[in-house]
Amino acid sequence: MMFFDTALTTNDLIFLARGAGMTLVVTAISVFFGTIMGIAFGILRHQIGPWWAAPLTLVLDIFRSIPLLIQLVLANAFVTTVLGWRISGFTVACAVLSLYTSAYCAEIVRGGIEAVPPTLRRAARSLGLTWRQDMTSVTLPLAARIALPSWIGLALGVMKDSALVYVVQVVELLKSAQILITRLQEPLFLLLICGLFYFLISFPIARLGGYLERKWSND
Amino acid sequence: MKTGILASGLMLAAGLTTPAFADKLDDIISANVLRCAVVLDFPPMGSRDSNNEPIGFDVDYCNDLAAALGVQAEIVETTFPERIPALMSGRVDVAVASTSDTLERAKTVGFSIPYYAFENAVVANQNVEMTDWEGMRGKTVGATAGTYEAIWLEEKVAEWGEGQFRPYQNQADVFLALSQGQLDATVSTVEVAEANVASGNFPGIRIVDKAPMVPDYVALITLREEYGLINYMNLFINQQVRTGRYAELYEKWIGEGEPADLTIPGVYR
Repeated sequence: MMFFDTALTTNDLIFLARGAGMTLVVTAISVFFGTIMGIAFGILRHQIGPWWAAPLTLVLDIFRSIPLLIQLVLANAFVTTVLGWRISGFTVACAVLSLYTSAYCAEIVRGGIEAVPPTLRRAARSLGLTWRQDMTSVTLPLAARIALPSWIGLALGVMKDSALVYVVQVVELLKSAQILITRLQEPLFLLLICGLFYFLISFPIARLGGYLERKWSND
Repeated sequence: MKTGILASGLMLAAGLTTPAFADKLDDIISANVLRCAVVLDFPPMGSRDSNNEPIGFDVDYCNDLAAALGVQAEIVETTFPERIPALMSGRVDVAVASTSDTLERAKTVGFSIPYYAFENAVVANQNVEMTDWEGMRGKTVGATAGTYEAIWLEEKVAEWGEGQFRPYQNQADVFLALSQGQLDATVSTVEVAEANVASGNFPGIRIVDKAPMVPDYVALITLREEYGLINYMNLFINQQVRTGRYAELYEKWIGEGEPADLTIPGVYR
């Protein structure tokens, strides 16, 4: 590099960038499926009431309260040894992280829906809107505005939590950095670069959130 | 018609007598991939090259085992404490990770016969006349304080009743002292000795002989109950030695010289 001596080569930077790409892919898949499932679970929980939703709530609470690292190890062990499937660590990582995301997202969606004044929803229904019309045209647009900041926070959190998928043999950004640290023995410098990569990924997402918030609050 | 009856009878009998049972060896072959736990911060047994690809004695050994089984090898990086948990939780099929065959570990996992042994070498300053390890008698020797080699050397010096033993803080200091002539000789693992001679960081040192210490035998491990696979691995290790591949890998990763004898005189297995 320019300012001081390092054994880091362009090759190694490409290696780190590939790790960053893996972090992005895992995060994108998990946030996408986690959000779809989270919306479904959130609406379901709100719609059928706390009593009927109890089993679902319990399952989601389990995903929220057990550390992600343990979930990954147990899920991988269950799939490979108990079920005997030979599926890749990448698949396990995406599945576990999606469920984990959906558990948090369900809470955000439920909170968003509950923040829409019930009187407004009743007014919509008394105007002759069906449940579906009320949901798509009144409740969800309003709920989305309320839920957006928390959802952006969740997406950024999942991106950083995705560093744990190294336990199922997925070489993402942090693992790539650790591999280089073992080889080159330059921990501080490499972690600095690794942090920079994380920032480069997170910053646009955070800015996109800010942009959407502003855009949605004006209309 | 008759053959039809006979065939169906045979099929029925075969179905009754052979229960459907697949062990790990079958699983590996049917999955067409062998997942090996390898420690990659332990050169020359395991490390990464400049492209961050795994290399080393253990990596080659895993590739050889996979090739013998006719499957693809998958190197799964683990740390030393993670080797056995990785095996138990099904993340890997075997560990080719320089695992010492202790009886305590054998309560949990199944060991093959040793596939490698870490021996100790006597390294001396070039100006000191020495032809074998007994040449250390009466000389100034030293090693890293508290290590197995240091304890052994100190005992030898006390036994001989002549010469001097000097403890050092770390191995680099020992080799520096040896290179500068403050020490006549030291004892270290063959791997470290070869690497230090080859590095050129310590001019004026040479490997004299192997030290007559009990080597650290290391073996391949898999699940305790997988006798089929353990049996296969034992034969595989035997073949590696028999075909000269063991010596070839030793020369490639450790250096010139005779690789460690993997048999223990006076006892089976």
